Parts: sequence; structure tokens; C-alpha cells
Amino acid sequence: MEILERLFNATLVVAMLRTTAPILLVSLGGSFTTKAGIFNIGLEGQMLVGAFFAVIGTIFTGSPWIGVLCGVAAALVLAFIFALLVVTFRANEVVVGLALNILASGMTISLLKAIFGTRGSIFGHGLVGLPIIRLPFAKELGPIGQMISGYTPLVYVAFLAVPLLILFYKRSRLGLYIRVVGEKPEAAEALGISITKIRYTASLICGVLAGLAGAHLSLGYTTMFTENMSSGRGFMAVAILIFSNGDPLKILLGCLLFGFSDALSLRLQTFGVSSYLVLAVPYLVALAALFALSYRARPRIIQETLASMGRALSVKPNGTAGS
Amino acid sequence: MSDRLSAIFGQLIALAIALAMGAVVILSVKESPLHVLLTLIDGAFGSPERIAGTLLQMTPILICGIAACVSLRGGLFNIGIEGQLFLGGFAATWVGFSFALPPVLHVLLGLAVAAFAGLLWIAIPAFFRARFQTNEVVSTILANYVAVLLTSYLTINIFKRPGGQPDTPPILESAYLPQIFSFSRLNWGLFIGLGLAIAVYLFFTRTARGYAVTEMGANPKFAEYGGIDIKRQTFVLLLVSGAIGGLAGGVESLGVHHRFMEGFAPGFGFDGVIAALLANGNPIGTIGTALFFGALRSGSLLLEVDTTASREIITVIQALIILAVSAQILVRRRAGDSTAGERRWKF
Repeated sequence: MEILERLFNATLVVAMLRTTAPILLVSLGGSFTTKAGIFNIGLEGQMLVGAFFAVIGTIFTGSPWIGVLCGVAAALVLAFIFALLVVTFRANEVVVGLALNILASGMTISLLKAIFGTRGSIFGHGLVGLPIIRLPFAKELGPIGQMISGYTPLVYVAFLAVPLLILFYKRSRLGLYIRVVGEKPEAAEALGISITKIRYTASLICGVLAGLAGAHLSLGYTTMFTENMSSGRGFMAVAILIFSNGDPLKILLGCLLFGFSDALSLRLQTFGVSSYLVLAVPYLVALAALFALSYRARPRIIQETLASMGRALSVKPNGTAGS
Repeated sequence: MSDRLSAIFGQLIALAIALAMGAVVILSVKESPLHVLLTLIDGAFGSPERIAGTLLQMTPILICGIAACVSLRGGLFNIGIEGQLFLGGFAATWVGFSFALPPVLHVLLGLAVAAFAGLLWIAIPAFFRARFQTNEVVSTILANYVAVLLTSYLTINIFKRPGGQPDTPPILESAYLPQIFSFSRLNWGLFIGLGLAIAVYLFFTRTARGYAVTEMGANPKFAEYGGIDIKRQTFVLLLVSGAIGGLAGGVESLGVHHRFMEGFAPGFGFDGVIAALLANGNPIGTIGTALFFGALRSGSLLLEVDTTASREIITVIQALIILAVSAQILVRRRAGDSTAGERRWKF
């Protein structure tokens, strides 16, 4: 019992919200591309360049806010290249996404060495993290106040973005267009919506949020940049996007599950469990969720397959199996 | 110009564009592109030792590339080759140091166990992909992280060699893959890779099974309509791909490192996937692209000594090549090549 009390308390909730925020930001970004019908495996790379250029911008200007802007701008460039190749040139999403991830990893390490002459990680050099916001009324709320106050601004942005996104998809015209383009591109075309324009817009908004996620990683979550510091969070976000189908509320639940397993695994380390096993926990949770939820979604997939096969057969009654 | 010629021509133009952009990147890290290029070439082919070094780097990329070709042919992405390589490398090392066997038998058993480890590692993602359409790209990528951490755990917390280094005990000499020359660690793994490439190529072009797999990759729905058991095919194909990925790790540990340690063979799995993609899933073409990537890697070792550039600059160049090629082929497709449409993995 005592162990459980040491494990589960207000500090765990605080740790969970802290670990949830970066993956929540990047997943919410991916929600735009997912809803617009793009499989965006490049989130990892966008997050990584966001983290790197946020640090560079902060060191050269002394302001973490300008740093955040630099991080977002860098992620936007990557998002634009992704959209250009995938939407305009119709290149394969997986191939382009993977290449951009590799590009981001190689480029950040090369620039790290070119600018600072070191490898591994960069801290100091006048690097300032984002300020911590203390809510004025938090003290009166006791333990709950302890849980909701004292985070860096991007944590609040991440959680506030969830209801905003729900409203956006339900109420705004752009939200509706994005959904239509993703679900029924033919219908969008018939309505005169430009699929290209909407997909570019979705990719770029996604880039902004992925850049914020990266900036949060290097200026909010920690105050440093480390080689490949996104460490698979972008891929976990893609896993969450697959089973949430881009729905903000489901994304929040998935990210909280991830944040919880991450925070819990960090706790377990203090109990003497090997750090290698502990670090694998979030990946295993993401995998388990991916497998479990795809099992549950089975009937829908079968129905869709049957429907599409039916369409294929009715369009071409003789079939062209030999082609 | 024939289709094949124009395709190769297109790839060359893409390569030129990518290299031009690479030059810009090299300039941005304050190095001369020409100096970097000459250093790369010198480092890769400057002497017999360096040529052997290039072939040594090429070997795991080639075997991983063949693993990727097998899945790509069926329209599947096994991005988890890196993880299968780590598991295979560890498994072969374990066979190598934990018991004694006659020489040839020991090597063969080590390689077989490595392949089996790779197969086991992909079995769950493969099952869910085949049965429930669970996205294999994401599941195999996530499995990579687990594989690297798991093998690190096994190495350091369970099998650590007494003494300071974070690695396993060395394997027995009976488990060594023989070297080809006395002056290099280049070993018989190269012939295993070349043999596999030819075998897989013949399988896809000369057998009915191979034809069925290609059919499935080209258009799964019609393949199913044509009587191919997609689920079974998907499952088996991913298992074979994983086994070859594991074999790559076995070759690396029995032929090169003779032990397993943290950071064992990093990035070979990813390079293999890229080499296979560049070769459009053709095993023979993968020999060429793997050689190219092996030369880049081998040359980058000298690059880090002779210039201020980091060796990761070559991964940037690789990524730029992939991006350029992915767009270039499409210019051709939009010009009216209707056959390129359906393949899920085609650029």
C-alpha cells in the first residue's frame, strides 16, 4: 500500500501532464493532416527541427520567445516540403516522411557540430528556457492548484488546444472543408473546394503545432538540445492518430495514456528497475494500444474492404486480374 | 527512348539535383563541397584497405536492403529492419559465446538463430498487419526502439563481460565468419548478401509464388480476386523480410564485431530500406545502391578526420536523394505513365 502511495500522488499527476504536453501538441498537429486524408509520418522530423532551431534562436537572440518562433518556422519549412512533394508531386507519403525524418536527424547533428563544434547535446551558451506560469488563484485550491499551476506556457497551449480543435472541426468552415477533403475528396471537388489548397493548409498548420511541440521539448520540458531528442514521440503520435482517427478528444485520451506510462516509467526507475526496460515502456504501451484498437476496429475494416471490392467488381464486371 | 532508359535518366537527373542541394548544405556548415566530395571518394576508394572498408560497410546495408525488397515487392513497408538487425546480432552473439561447436556448424547455427530472432521480432506486427490491417510502418518503427533498448538491457544487465566495457563476452573463434583478406575485417558476409540478392531476384522473376507476390504489391484487390490468399501472403512475406533483417545482424556480429555492444551497427537497417527504395525494390539494383551507400559511409569516416564536417552530413545527402527521386519519377507518371499508379510503395 505504501508503495502505491509513493507511486500515485499529486506529483505523478504533475509529471504526467508535463510528459503529455509535447506529444499532445504534435498529435493535435497531426490531427489536421489526418483529417485531411494525409498519412503524415514526418512528424518526428518536424518536431526535431523545431526543437533544434528553438534552441538556436534563443541562443542568438537571448529570447526564448523568438526561439519558439524560429522553431516553428523551421518545422514549417519541413511541412511545406512535405506538402509540396506529397500533394503537388503525389510522391509516396511514407517515403517522403521517412526521408524528411532522416534529413532532420542528420541536419541537426551536422549543424550542431558546425556551430558549436560538439556532438551529443547543447546546453548553457546563454540558453534560457520558457518562463513558468504560476496561476494567482492556485494556492487557494490546495492539491488541485498544485496540479494545474506551475507549467511552462506551451503546456497550457496544448491542453487548451483540445477544446478549440473540437470547436474548429464542428463549427468552422475550414474545419468542415478539411473533413470533407479527407473523407470524400470527390464530394469536395464537386463542391468546388480546392483539395490542393486545403491539404497545404492542413500540412502547414500541422507544421506550426509540431514546431511548438519541438520548441516545448527543448525550451520547456528541458532546457537543452540533444541529438534525436524527439526519440520516437512523433511516431507515437502517428500511432495515436491511427486509432483516434484525428479526433481531438480521443487524441487527448491517447496522449494522457502515453504521458501516464511515461511518468510512471520514470518513477519505476527510482525503484531500481533497469532504466533500459523502463524507457521501453512508452513504446510498448503505444504498440499495445495500436494492436488492441485495430482488433476492435476490425468489423469496420472488413465492411470497408467488402464495399470497395463490391465497387471494383461492379465497375469492371469482367475484372482485370491478370493485368 | 525506352521506358527503362528514361527511368534511369530520370534517376540521374534527380541524383544531380540532390547533390546540388547537398552542396548547399555542405556550404552551410562552412565546408567546401568539392573538398568534401574528394575526401569522400578518397576515403571510400583511395586504397585496397579503403575499398575493402567500403565493401565491409556495404554488406549489412545490402542484406537489410534485400529484407526491405522482399516486403516492398508485396506492397508492404518493413521499417523495423533496424530492430530485427539488433535482435539478430544479439542472438548470434549469444550462440557464439555460450557454447562450443565445430567451426562451420557453429557459424551456421549462429546465422540460423539470428534469422529466427528477426522472424520472431516481426511476428506480432506481421500477424496484426495480415489479420487486422494494423499499419505496419508505425508498428515496426516503434518496435525498433524496443529492440534497441531490449538488447542493451540484455547486454548490460545480464550478459555483461566482467570488466569495464558495456559489451558481451567475445564469441568463440569457431563462430567467426571467415575473413576474405588478411588486411580487412571484410568477410564472407558479402557473398551471403550477393547470393541472397540473386536468389531473391530469381524468386521474384522466375517462380509463380514470386509472381503472385509482385501481383499483390501491384494491386492487392485484383490479386485477391485472382485467387491469392492476401492474408497468408502478407504474413509470410513480412516473416521472411524480418528473418533476413535478423540475418544481417548475425552476419555483422559473427563477421565484424565478434561481440555485441551498445550502439551495435546503428542505422544499417534504415540505410537498407533507403537503398531498396532507391532501387525500386529490385534486389539486383539494391546491390548498386548498397555499394553507393557503403561508399558514402566508408568515405565519411575520413571526412570526419580530414574536415570539420560531421559524418551525419551523408545522411542529409541520402535523404535529399530520396526526396529528389520521389518527386522526379512523378514527373514521369504525370506525363502519362499509367502503370505506375497502384503500387503503394512506388515513388
